[in-house]
Amino acid sequence: MHSKPYCRNLPTSSKKMSKRRLAGVGVTPRADVGTAYWYDRSPEVSQDSGDYDPAEQRERFESAQEQVNDELAAERERVAARIGEEEAAVFDAHQQFLTDPEIEAPIEAAIEDGNSAEQAVQAGFAEGIEQFEAMEGMMAERADDLRDIRDRLLRVLTGADDTADIPSGSIVLAQRLTPSDTVSFDLDDVAGIATERGGRSSHAAIIARSIGLPAVVGLGEGLADLAGERVAVDGNEGVLIVDPDEQTIEAIESAKQEPVRHEQVSTTDGRPIEVAANVTTPETAEHAAEQGADGIGLFRSELLFFDRKAPPDEAEQYEQYRAVREQFDADERVIVRTLDIGGDKPIEYLDLDPEENGFLGVRGIRLSLDEHRDLFETQLRAILRATAGGNDDASLAMMFPMVTTVEELDEAISLVEDVAAQLDDEGVEYAVPELGVMVETPAAVEMAAELAARVSFLSIGTNDLTGYTMATQRDIDSVADLHDPLQPAVLRAIDRTVKRGHDGDAWVGMCGEMAGEPELTELLVGLGLDELSASAVTVPEIKARISEIDSEQARELADRVLAAEQRKEVEEILGRS
Amino acid sequence: MIGMERIVTVVPEQGLHARPASAFVRTAGEFDAEITVGPADANREPARGNSMLAVTGLGVEGGDKVRITAQGPDAAEALDALEAVLQKPADQLEEDE
Repeated sequence: MHSKPYCRNLPTSSKKMSKRRLAGVGVTPRADVGTAYWYDRSPEVSQDSGDYDPAEQRERFESAQEQVNDELAAERERVAARIGEEEAAVFDAHQQFLTDPEIEAPIEAAIEDGNSAEQAVQAGFAEGIEQFEAMEGMMAERADDLRDIRDRLLRVLTGADDTADIPSGSIVLAQRLTPSDTVSFDLDDVAGIATERGGRSSHAAIIARSIGLPAVVGLGEGLADLAGERVAVDGNEGVLIVDPDEQTIEAIESAKQEPVRHEQVSTTDGRPIEVAANVTTPETAEHAAEQGADGIGLFRSELLFFDRKAPPDEAEQYEQYRAVREQFDADERVIVRTLDIGGDKPIEYLDLDPEENGFLGVRGIRLSLDEHRDLFETQLRAILRATAGGNDDASLAMMFPMVTTVEELDEAISLVEDVAAQLDDEGVEYAVPELGVMVETPAAVEMAAELAARVSFLSIGTNDLTGYTMATQRDIDSVADLHDPLQPAVLRAIDRTVKRGHDGDAWVGMCGEMAGEPELTELLVGLGLDELSASAVTVPEIKARISEIDSEQARELADRVLAAEQRKEVEEILGRS
Repeated sequence: MIGMERIVTVVPEQGLHARPASAFVRTAGEFDAEITVGPADANREPARGNSMLAVTGLGVEGGDKVRITAQGPDAAEALDALEAVLQKPADQLEEDE
């Protein structure tokens, strides 16, 4: 048994003084410790009002422009090879900004007025940067792109050193990181990044996510003062900890990435446990495969429906499901969860009512069988089509969210049959995937045996199951202690689900956040779960844990935990002080 | 000098941002004709079609209608090419988005 303290958020394990915590937005669910390195490459521009020769300055500007253009082309290639075509595309836009007539014109005018090329570049970009900053959301962050190009030009013009010599293992602190910054140093060498500005869609965030680098953005001003100090970046919680204490460092070190194992793992006494990943896009599925996931335990298909004006059609969905399947091998499985909207997941074009479609209203499968049956049918068509063929790819499975009654499941299954008959009539290639049910409500726990008898698997969604069992919402601070899967009521509900699921001849997995807590792996194995699906970055550690667990001992641990009457006892048994 | 215009619905869901904007500006630059683009229903100053800054600054979203104008010898070809760009879903512009 692991005696390490169980802690959800690393730093809460100790409440000692002396360390300082700065709150920002966590980007990757990872943490690391290192020495803070303040990264600032903004070139200094002399603001003298000398009378510069326009012809000379124009020539300097044009040659700088050319040099930056070459730089961009070269970096585009590097990023495409290293990180991906999608991230590289940002450089196309950069090359266009570089020669943008709306920016060139004011630069030209400033040079004509006797300014230096440097001063002209600064002036020429100012308006565009302001324009983007005044816009909302994503566009505001595109101001970073303009700053990036401006600074590249200025670095060439002022002859500033273009390479940053960052000691290996540093935590890079910066006001913000631009695309050129993130390729100017070796990301493999840095332990993490933390920025003052920028949100989840800032360039730094995108890059950090794509390579799994611990990162926190949007920390606010004052990071420059921390240079040289020991700091910890915790992307799980979105904090930067200054001068972390021993306990914090230890917790972080133990959570660091384990070597990736691509093979399936078993307990020491030979019980195989599947370790899959929860993902939202084919790209993140690819990352999950690289982390050694045995498949996808939860593909959140509703993400395909967000942030757009109309729902994705059958063809688009088909492509997405195929693309996720292709990331895995024939003996692996990709589980698509059908549309789970409502609750706290609004979609603008569906015009959902927060109350009517809230946590206790028409959400999940209820919505799919009722008002949005058309969307559901389209999705089923896409999934059935995507299940056919592709013999070298993972098999596809499908599970329904928020099922509370046998009737709902029966209706969903008969709809699957209808869709299959339809495709058959049309002569379209299809196959019916393995079917499963998500267990997220006390009703589903009570009916688990009957539900299981109708499908091949159950998957426990721990966040909703905790919420509906404890009558809590995770974002309400005052009930945070109650909203905890370690509450005995929730643990017993999980235990019943597993037993009843097995009685109904189904395998039982877990795709909630709880499955991604390495400190709980032994307990979950002891509870009899057959599959754990978690965030891709935790897969290596979960696999390592499983291969050290004896399932008899794990069962004994689970029995003791299930006998506990209070959360406090559960925590004591798990060794969390 | 031939001046022509056309009203087109923007198909890519991200509108005239990111890749679709990039493709629009690149295409506009390939013609001699002078291109402008702006929201079809607003009395706003249209943007220069060859400026990434101006085009993305319009804030045009997917499903919006835009008025494209072209002035120059190859105006008709330019309008055809630009219309084609705006009618293409984002994932068909080069690589997958």
